[in-house]
Amino acid sequence: MRVFGAKELLEDVHAKDLCIGCGACVSLCPYFKNYRGKTAMLFPCTLPQGRCHAYCPRTEVDLNELSVRLWDKPYRGEPIGIYKEIVASRSTTPHPGCLFQAGGTVSALISFALKEKIINAAALTDREDLIPIPRLVTNSEEVLICAGSKFMASPTVSALNEGIAKGFIGMGIVGTPCQMMAVLQLRSNPLGRPDFRDPVALSIGLFCNWSLDTRQFSAYLTDKMDITQIRGMDIPPPPADVMVLKSVDRERRIPLSEIRPFIPSTCFVCPDMTSEFADLSVGMYEGRAGWNTLIVRSQRGADLVEQAVRKGVLQVSDMQAENLERLSRASAKKKERALRMLLSRGLLNAEGDGKRSVMRIPPEVVGKILATETE
Amino acid sequence: MGKATIDFDPFNLIITGVGGQGNVMASRVVGNMIIEKGFHVTIGETFGASQRGGSVMSHLRISTDSGFSPQIPKGRAHMVIALEPTEALRVLKDYGNPSVYVLCNMRPIQFVAVICGDQPYPALDTIIQSIRELSKQAWFLNTTDAALKLGNPILGNIMIVGALVATGLLPLDRDSFKAAIGRVVSPEKAKVNLAAFEQGLTMLRT
Amino acid sequence: MNTLRSRSEHTPRLVMGNEAIARGALEAGVSVATGYPGTPSSEIIENLARVSAGRDVYVEWGVNEKVAMEVAAAASFAGLRSLCVMKQNGVNVASDFLLHLASSGTRGGMVLVSCEDPGALSSANEGDSRHFSRLLEVPLLEPGSFQEAKDITKWAFDLSEEIRNVIMVRSVTRLSHASGSVVYGEMPETKPHAFFSHDGDILDPMRGPVISGPVEYKHKKQQEKLQKAIAFFEESPFNTYTGPDTPELLCVTSSAAGFYCKEALRLLGVEGRVGLLKLGTTWPLPPRLMEKYLRLTDKILIVEEVIPFLEENVKIMAAELSPKIGAKVLHGKRDGFIPSAGELNPDIVIAAVAKTLGMTYGSPAATYTQRATQAAACVPVRDLAFCPGCPHRASFWSIHNVLRMDARQGFVCGDIGCYSLGISPTGFGTLKTLHAMGSGTGLASGFGSLGRFGMDQPALAVTGDSTFFHAVLPALVNAIHNKSEITLVVLDNSGTAMTGFQPHPGLPVDAAGKELIALDIVRICEAMGATVRICNPFYLKETERILLELLEKRGGVKVIVLKKTCALSPERKGKKDFNMFVNPAVCLGDDCGCNRLCTRIFKCPGLIWNREKTVAEIDDIICVGCGVCASICPSGAIQRKEIT
Repeated sequence: MRVFGAKELLEDVHAKDLCIGCGACVSLCPYFKNYRGKTAMLFPCTLPQGRCHAYCPRTEVDLNELSVRLWDKPYRGEPIGIYKEIVASRSTTPHPGCLFQAGGTVSALISFALKEKIINAAALTDREDLIPIPRLVTNSEEVLICAGSKFMASPTVSALNEGIAKGFIGMGIVGTPCQMMAVLQLRSNPLGRPDFRDPVALSIGLFCNWSLDTRQFSAYLTDKMDITQIRGMDIPPPPADVMVLKSVDRERRIPLSEIRPFIPSTCFVCPDMTSEFADLSVGMYEGRAGWNTLIVRSQRGADLVEQAVRKGVLQVSDMQAENLERLSRASAKKKERALRMLLSRGLLNAEGDGKRSVMRIPPEVVGKILATETE
Repeated sequence: MGKATIDFDPFNLIITGVGGQGNVMASRVVGNMIIEKGFHVTIGETFGASQRGGSVMSHLRISTDSGFSPQIPKGRAHMVIALEPTEALRVLKDYGNPSVYVLCNMRPIQFVAVICGDQPYPALDTIIQSIRELSKQAWFLNTTDAALKLGNPILGNIMIVGALVATGLLPLDRDSFKAAIGRVVSPEKAKVNLAAFEQGLTMLRT
Repeated sequence: MNTLRSRSEHTPRLVMGNEAIARGALEAGVSVATGYPGTPSSEIIENLARVSAGRDVYVEWGVNEKVAMEVAAAASFAGLRSLCVMKQNGVNVASDFLLHLASSGTRGGMVLVSCEDPGALSSANEGDSRHFSRLLEVPLLEPGSFQEAKDITKWAFDLSEEIRNVIMVRSVTRLSHASGSVVYGEMPETKPHAFFSHDGDILDPMRGPVISGPVEYKHKKQQEKLQKAIAFFEESPFNTYTGPDTPELLCVTSSAAGFYCKEALRLLGVEGRVGLLKLGTTWPLPPRLMEKYLRLTDKILIVEEVIPFLEENVKIMAAELSPKIGAKVLHGKRDGFIPSAGELNPDIVIAAVAKTLGMTYGSPAATYTQRATQAAACVPVRDLAFCPGCPHRASFWSIHNVLRMDARQGFVCGDIGCYSLGISPTGFGTLKTLHAMGSGTGLASGFGSLGRFGMDQPALAVTGDSTFFHAVLPALVNAIHNKSEITLVVLDNSGTAMTGFQPHPGLPVDAAGKELIALDIVRICEAMGATVRICNPFYLKETERILLELLEKRGGVKVIVLKKTCALSPERKGKKDFNMFVNPAVCLGDDCGCNRLCTRIFKCPGLIWNREKTVAEIDDIICVGCGVCASICPSGAIQRKEIT
């Protein structure tokens, strides 16, 4: 990983409108802060190398390096990444009054991990009206507060950074694919600090095709309804082309066409739909309401799932082949789109003195992804 | 008793320092001491914005005649009293000449540029050497530390007035100080100022 | 120790120019003195306030210069002698009233003293208000020495009563703030009785209503008054000539520039060749006097500071006199012999005189200067900074950071006071406009109405507590009434700090420390219909939270009052709230996670960066123990211990 400083972060990311607001650079130091979904630099930092640039998922992300670090295997550009198995899953404990997203797998696993002291804290995402708020939770009751998809970019990695600053080791984090990349870069100790200890004991990534700009989205919804009444958000699978907003007493449907303008352009350079760089990845299960798709990737992820199933907290079942096929195709499509965007903007594999890239992918893998058959 | 005399007419004295060091007070005291001895003095000063960490200078024109400008012409200072080492150099650049005498307090006051790490504070030894090379005679004191022992660092400005008297370059003495300080501060404060003055009298060494 | 009230003695005393002016007013029997703080004028009112005990002198800091002048004029209309004091900008503020006053005339002697700042040593401009005398047609006097500062001021009251109009006296920093020998005169026994006579005929200047109409009639009367003044000017002892009967060159000058001319001629050794006409009555110029001296030679050098006011008037006179005295060569600012900007000093005048005479003047010890310049090269310029413990540093820290977090390219319109330093690094470059008193809010009111043209940047303004009353009130009314969307930050440090911590209508005391009625800024803004919050700027988190909340609130005028007393006020000076200490083991220094935030960005003079140990330290002599730096330190290395 090539590491630079805040000045380069500003040039490479902010000046190019690539910041996704993942929060990896926030709460490391006083210079970066996130407010209502926007990450801003308060003052210039003069250091030539900093954790902000190193962790950022939009600068010098070497996918091969990440793959080797996590799986000891090179990056091959597989649509769904490297995994041990994919199953359907759901929590065995429905909680009335709390709206899980689909199967409630993430909440169940995090709760369980906290109870079993596999992790001692978890960086999750809460919501205040429509603003996603990172939260470092330390007990399972708090986990339920954070249940439910937000569909907006949230600076959740900042909660992890705060936990590290407080001295927590053995934390969990739930986040988007970009956040999983940031966390993995964090775990590699990019500044080579001698006193470094890996603070992350569990990472659960979410499926993500795109997210929404917090400020634009909340301004849009505020015009349409009383946002304090919103209890949950959902985007049903195709052919439905709407977002569903659940209030206490009703549901509202909003055409996706009205919401797509709020997708930050930076989402279109992201090649990862299923959070390939996490212990576990969780998403919707199309066609099966109340269930999740669960991708088990690492050994410690597998161990956790196995324990959770054994203790009756989680229920798993086979994934249908056609669902797997659809997931794979959708993921491959996102990869191809992203690479084309990166290439057209000159953000991939830049070579030469002082030249910096968003991403580095072995050229043969790039070729393979671009050659994928997609409609 | 012979009439007091000055070696040059006008005798051009500059008192310089950083805003907040008591520069104005020192020049008032010296000015009143001069008047006590029957001379005219014109004092030119800048204050206001200079309180906010800027350099300050008082120009004193001591003469048997009144009506000299409150600004000394370039290169014509006879004596420079500096409450801060770098200010001495700054003044000598514009107003110094090979015959100038210098009395300098060596306690640095950091610049914003220095405290924020952009530039180093010049080495004190270099400053001392430069001042020596640029003057006929120079004395280096530590009035701030001595004043701290008396209870207030700002008394350093009065101490240096004592040192000025000890140089013998101006016809000033303890009596003229007592009369002058009485005009400038309240009776309660006069006592500690006198103690500072007395200590200043003993502080000369090259 | 205040000797302003002393009885006359014949021994000269060491007196500051402003004190001399104050003494001159007292010797003239002034009853009412008003003004607004402004460097270099403030000491005049301060000195008068100190001796105002009893009923014989009433001293008032006006809310602004226009109102101050109106208050002084009222005294004059009621038959008392009055003085009004301000700096150059103040005359601009008062000029609308002054225009009408000059027309209506005065009764008791009234003197306007304008203390100006050539070179802008303590100003945001180097305005010259002498042109107001010509513009508004009132006589102008300029003292050229400390003795004259007293004598001219005293005489100005007599002149005012002779011609029944206000007299303008102009001083500059190098007189007002300089000190020299002055012999005091007698103090009069006065028993003034105020009565405003108004029942008389409309044209009766002493008993009728005081108005500027009928305009043409009154304007003609004004010209006659000027002619009367000229008659006095012809014989005035304040116009002096020194030099030979037949000089090669005539220097014409006024004010402090006279000092520099005198010094220049002496140093060049040309006192036998050059005549020096130092004028104290500079407008209208007395024609017979001018003719007498302009006639002496063909070469004339006019030496003055800021605009070529005297120069232009001398040239007009020279042109009018040319049939009698011949054509003259006149040098000055217009042909570059005297610089067109900045203040003067002896060396500049030496160069101008030498050039006019075709002489060379090498300043002594040129090689010395070279060596000294080299030695001083290592000495950086001392940047102006907020004092240690200044509430503005904390306020701008919060405002700056909030605007960055808000990320909508919001900005702050600045105003006049210590907080004007918010344009520079000490205030984190937060201010983006800076003009006159009250202009920050006026501009913000304008920006806040541009939403209809697509502007979505938050518009903010700052004001101090004194500035709030001086000029911000009307601008705030404008913003609220016109539904402009702005956030006004009132930096309330309980005084007019930049000029020496004078009181203002927000404080319960007057210039002499006596009890007055304090107006409550918070209640005023609430009554006007703004959304108002108040906070201690040293509580950084809370200030930030409130500011973010206010910025998010759409529509209308929001006001946040950040209230914390100035570090130089008598209340706080010399008193530490905390003992501060940096734990070097915890200090991150310039590592990732800090990058020397406290010394590199926050830059309080009480913090020092130790280059060798690469840690921050507290300078115990400079630090005033406000505790704010402990709140910004990311590692908790800066610690504060409350002093009980």
